[in-house]
Amino acid sequence: MSLLKLLKNNTRNVLIKCNESQLIFISSRKLSIVPSSYDGENPAPKFFSSGIQILLKRLTRPDYAKVFRKRSNSNAPMLETPQYKFLTDEELQIEKEKANQSADRLLQMPPVVKVHEPINDVLSKDPALVGFDSAKYLFTDISFGVANEHRLIVERDPDGILRSCDHDVRKRLNQIYFPMLGRKIREPLIFADDEKLHSLLDRQKYEYVLDRACVQYEPDEPKFQKVTSITYQHIDTNMQYDLLRSTRHFGPLAFYLTWHKCMDSLMFELVQTGAIREAVLLMSLRHAVHGDLKNGADSDALGKQVLTTPVQLSKSEYLTEEDIQLDNKCIECLDAYIVNNSTMKSQQGLALQGFREYYQQMVELSRGLKKAHGTA
Amino acid sequence: MASKILAIRNVVNKPLNFFVNKIPQYQTTGYNLKNISTTTIACLNFFNKLPAEKLWKSVTSVSNAGAKKGRGKGAGRIRIRDLNRGQIIGTGKINMLWPGLSAPVIRGRELLKQQRLPDDPERMEKLIKLRDSMTRFRRLRLSPIERGWSGSRMPGRSIGAPDPVGDEEFTGFDTKVLQLRPLLIMKGSLGRTRNYQAMVVTGNGQGLAGFGIGKAKEAPAALRKAKNRAGKKLMNFDIYNGHTVFHDFFTAFGKTKIYVQKKNEGHGLKCHRAIKEICQAIGIKDLRAKLEGSNNLQHIVKAFFVGLLQQRTHQQLAEEKKLHLVEFRAENEHYPIVVASPSVVRTKEEIPKDETLDFNQYIMNDRVIFRRKKFPRFYETMPHYEIFLKKYEKFRNHEKIRLNLKVEYGEIKSFLTDKYPEPKEEKET
Repeated sequence: MSLLKLLKNNTRNVLIKCNESQLIFISSRKLSIVPSSYDGENPAPKFFSSGIQILLKRLTRPDYAKVFRKRSNSNAPMLETPQYKFLTDEELQIEKEKANQSADRLLQMPPVVKVHEPINDVLSKDPALVGFDSAKYLFTDISFGVANEHRLIVERDPDGILRSCDHDVRKRLNQIYFPMLGRKIREPLIFADDEKLHSLLDRQKYEYVLDRACVQYEPDEPKFQKVTSITYQHIDTNMQYDLLRSTRHFGPLAFYLTWHKCMDSLMFELVQTGAIREAVLLMSLRHAVHGDLKNGADSDALGKQVLTTPVQLSKSEYLTEEDIQLDNKCIECLDAYIVNNSTMKSQQGLALQGFREYYQQMVELSRGLKKAHGTA
Repeated sequence: MASKILAIRNVVNKPLNFFVNKIPQYQTTGYNLKNISTTTIACLNFFNKLPAEKLWKSVTSVSNAGAKKGRGKGAGRIRIRDLNRGQIIGTGKINMLWPGLSAPVIRGRELLKQQRLPDDPERMEKLIKLRDSMTRFRRLRLSPIERGWSGSRMPGRSIGAPDPVGDEEFTGFDTKVLQLRPLLIMKGSLGRTRNYQAMVVTGNGQGLAGFGIGKAKEAPAALRKAKNRAGKKLMNFDIYNGHTVFHDFFTAFGKTKIYVQKKNEGHGLKCHRAIKEICQAIGIKDLRAKLEGSNNLQHIVKAFFVGLLQQRTHQQLAEEKKLHLVEFRAENEHYPIVVASPSVVRTKEEIPKDETLDFNQYIMNDRVIFRRKKFPRFYETMPHYEIFLKKYEKFRNHEKIRLNLKVEYGEIKSFLTDKYPEPKEEKET
């Protein structure tokens, strides 16, 4: 009975040792993820470094069909009539360039920064004002053109101390005087009530939760980091990375997993789906963040080579010799990673073996085709 | 007042009559028994001298001059009733059993005898009710699904698929009546004769449709002819993305002009009812059409079909212009989607300066739609509207606030409600 109880309100996984030393994983439906935030070292310098940004954007695997999917953002009752234009080649190129820019805008990643420190500075102590009133007085500078984070907001306590306000008070007053569209003064229920959040996560509405969190919170708020980390962990345990691909949240997800050194199931998923080049990019991301890979230099060099190739949205049917060479290098590199650094050695090894066999067939097929066409 | 007094007098008199009548009753019976006459008497009077037809005519007829003025029509009109309806030979006011007339002669092993049965007090009421029901004019009632554009009239109603031609059956087709009208024709021998003309559209909702006109002496025959003719004149139309036309276009037939506009999904059919029926027959779901000039129905139908047939596909347009045709949709963040590319694309230098490059202008053949100026609504210029706006100003956000409070507390309350609660009405006590 006590075992059952333990199972019912267990932590993430329960390991039970049976006879013959067999491991049984029982993952609980009722989830109790321990959120972790960036409260130690500041991740911002690494996250914003150009190398890592490029890697994260590439790992997002942007598919324009999903980036520009039909969205009903406007509250118009009807869809607008589409516009048509006659364009020359050059004009079309310009339009595509514009679309790329707007894709960059849509895929701009929410920043990953350290949790902010509490503000605690006393500006002045005036004993003459002790007991002037029973309530606090808040003063806000609402002059135009001052950024919200630099706005002067102070409070006079009943004991006569004049101090700068803490973050939560600052946020509330900023929202009152300069409201942000979609942000609520009181915390929405989906963030205040854990059950509501988990029901959304169970329905796999990850993008919705993350978008909503971006609107409601600043990236350096502890609540933001708590909500996002719960969501990322939920995605990680359910291996639902595809739901975040082509959205702006994939980069922070990959960065989070790499930062906390738990990117092995992401790596497993990449190998399993045959995205071998992205797996190498993930390796070089790990090396750029932690620098703890044995073959880190190799993966960095290989990653740079991979970045020059176009994004593979679907499995290519025809392989050139250069592709085969690059992919073989990637497989070797991954093999070394699995042996030296992976925490899921057996699973990843099996997946890589499966990919190798499949890839061998593909290589033979494309070489045979070449011979048949007489181009070899 | 007089009738009331009479009624009261009757009631007062009744008991008196009762007593008074009692004595002479014996006398009268005695008197009648004494005088039995065997001679026949012909009870001739106005009602049984003339046949019912003539009698009714005398009541219902209106003089020629009166008819011209419109008498004998409308609400107060007297209608001919068949008084024989509901009456059976052998039954009458007095409920008698007549063996061989209203009953069999032998029932079981018993010979039935002529006898009086208890009276049926509701018989007369039933008869009157039956007669009344004949007088009221009843319009044919249709279920809302079967109904057309207006009441029980034919236009807008469905009359099924055309009849099969040989072995070919029109499966999935449906025909809608667009017009059914009588035509009066003068003939040398017959004078003015009445013909019916019907116009129908038939289609399978998947791009195949046609219209037909039929004429006949009777309306159903005209409809059938039109339907079968429409089935023989089917045309195929391409539908863009399965929901609308390829582009805006202008089309005309006679004095009828139609401006058709392509619309996005969910817009619906906003056009003349005949055009709507045609679109449904073809399978077009979203479109706007503005009618100008004559609203002759046959011309509308013909103009619309001509316009649909003259549409050009995107590939044709791209080939004509030798330029890429690119679609921008607001719901896709204006991402450029190339819908058609020509085999050879012109460069910017090859395009003449005065060529129309605007898609809408090109497709409408440089015709510009006149857009009427929008005037403010009639009440918006009135002083009371300004007063209303001023008064409403302080309530303008209440709806949103109520919703937010419901989200926050589950009911409408504020931060003051705990301190100063609303007085609750106790209804159950």
